[in-house]
Amino acid sequence: MITRFWAESATAVATMAFGLIIVYGALEFGIGWDSSGPQPGAFPFYTGLLVALASLGTLALTIGRRIAGNAGLQESFLDAERFKRVASFFLPLLAFVVLSVTLGMYVATILYLVFAMRFQGGYGWLPSLATAFGAAAFFYLALEKFFQIGLLKGPLEPLLGL
Amino acid sequence: MDNVASLMHGFSVALTTHHILLMMAGVLLGILVGVLPGLGAPNGVSLLLPLTFSMDPVSAIILLTSLYWGALFGGSTTSILFNIPGEPSSVATTFDGHPMAKQGRATEALSFAFLSAGFGAMAGVILITLLSGWVAKFALKFSSPEYFAVYFMTFASFIGLGGASPLKAIVSMGVGFALASIGMDSVSGNVRLTFEFDALLGGVSFLIAVIGLFGIGELIITMEEGLKFEGVQAKVRISDVLRTAAKLPRYWVALLRSSLIGIWMGITPGGPTAASFMSYAMAKRTSRNPAKFGKGEPEGVIAPETADHAAGSSAMLPMLALGIPGSATAAVMMGGLMIWGLNPGPTLFTDRPDFVWGLIASMYLGNVVAVIVVLATVPLFASILRIPFAIIGPIIVAICFIGAFTVASKSFDIWLALAFGVVGYLFKKLDYPIAPLVLAMVIGDKAEDAFRQSMIFSQGSLSIFWSNALVSTLMAIGVVLLLLPLVGMIAQRLRGRTAQSTV
Repeated sequence: MITRFWAESATAVATMAFGLIIVYGALEFGIGWDSSGPQPGAFPFYTGLLVALASLGTLALTIGRRIAGNAGLQESFLDAERFKRVASFFLPLLAFVVLSVTLGMYVATILYLVFAMRFQGGYGWLPSLATAFGAAAFFYLALEKFFQIGLLKGPLEPLLGL
Repeated sequence: MDNVASLMHGFSVALTTHHILLMMAGVLLGILVGVLPGLGAPNGVSLLLPLTFSMDPVSAIILLTSLYWGALFGGSTTSILFNIPGEPSSVATTFDGHPMAKQGRATEALSFAFLSAGFGAMAGVILITLLSGWVAKFALKFSSPEYFAVYFMTFASFIGLGGASPLKAIVSMGVGFALASIGMDSVSGNVRLTFEFDALLGGVSFLIAVIGLFGIGELIITMEEGLKFEGVQAKVRISDVLRTAAKLPRYWVALLRSSLIGIWMGITPGGPTAASFMSYAMAKRTSRNPAKFGKGEPEGVIAPETADHAAGSSAMLPMLALGIPGSATAAVMMGGLMIWGLNPGPTLFTDRPDFVWGLIASMYLGNVVAVIVVLATVPLFASILRIPFAIIGPIIVAICFIGAFTVASKSFDIWLALAFGVVGYLFKKLDYPIAPLVLAMVIGDKAEDAFRQSMIFSQGSLSIFWSNALVSTLMAIGVVLLLLPLVGMIAQRLRGRTAQSTV
């Protein structure tokens, strides 16, 4: 079980790291003054610094509260059951993104919808396939034909002549 | 009376068959977006925005604002029938709306909600009609330091009045500014902060951030909580609607008070969510029988709904007149204006009066259309929620990612949307406010330009922000807003100490 304390602290550390990366990146462009005014790095430098300092503040506050014995921080942020639910949603989501980039978004949509309905929703093959192909066909007609926006396509679409 | 004449001209722009059809389409899409969990107003506008790039700006903004009205109405529908707020701003509507529905007064609750929402929206739009020209004229006097001061004030009020931890609001805002500065620097032409990744050359679009933070993040939370819809059936009969409408004038005090609260919270970036809660609390406090609240009191539906919609529509005033969005949705729309090649702010009123007044006129029409459409389609949308989430959820996921790709046709954006989804999930669970991040991403470049130009004027001295009465006042208000949380904390400490000493 992850307690709120660890979730708060980890997020604060992550945002602090983000702030420091921005600070580091900004240094490359100069943070001082030149003939045309403040150098390009100045504004990002200070916003990055602000993020890092505020994150440090959140971290200090969280640790301080824990030392003071704040009960809220001992509450569960994510227990096993919730984690399972999040994972069973997030992992197919990740697969969908990977498939989109490799096989194209239409194929990914069909595979993802069939998987989610057939194996997670407990529907039969027929309704799953019908919904998946129906949704893909709808996206195709709406985007490619009506709005003339092409989606990311993989190696399969040319074989179908689309 | 300039404004009235301009408004009449606006009606001539907005009142075409094409535009009325767009309004109906926008409202229907908006209700759908508002009803479905995981899709909300900001994210609905983000998904639709790339499809409007080729449209004429007037038609495009009419479509998007109508979607916004529709989403606000859709959020209230699910609050009342299912006890599930479709939008954060309709949480307060569940307190009394759902009890009313459970007592068999669903139609009454829905009619009260929609009619008072329409009233609130109208109040907001009337205010925009009367004040926008004047505010824009006033803002024409602004130069860079004043603009920076206004941006400062906006963010200070998020930090001071947002209700979340001030440090977390600063983190959220700073992350937004940092993300906005990735890519081409508009002043020097340098490419900044890309860390040698080609995909970052074009910058990070705020649309991707909204789709990830609001859409995917929200969906992950919904899944974690194992959402179940258990709704109340509702059929809306015209006679019931009319009977409820006849009762509405009895609540005129609540209507007026809530409109004022909503307008105030919409103009200052408190936003619709804060407005609806505040209005509900005020209604309860001033009521003769506060015990009835929470058990199906009509005023408990009217107050938050009026304020929610008044805030939603008046948030368009600072966006149009100053170029500062009053809510996350307004921020997305403002980003849209910039993509269409318009420059939100006072000059918009002189450069593109047909656009501004067409938009304002369309707000009047759009809200009337929205009330009618939403009353007519409640049973239809309630039945959509009966489709199991195992089907709807994955389809929404696909729509979000497809929407992310259509923004710029970059496959990197799909990954980015996923990353923002994880950030949105964490931020929402840990009470980081998300709206400041989106606002900072949209106005980041403008704020930075204003700051750099001010620095060039003053040869690098910060004293330029105190150099005249106008800019000093704006900065002072900002500083006061920033210090509010500190004052509150000290007051609480002192009160705690006196309480202890008296015990």
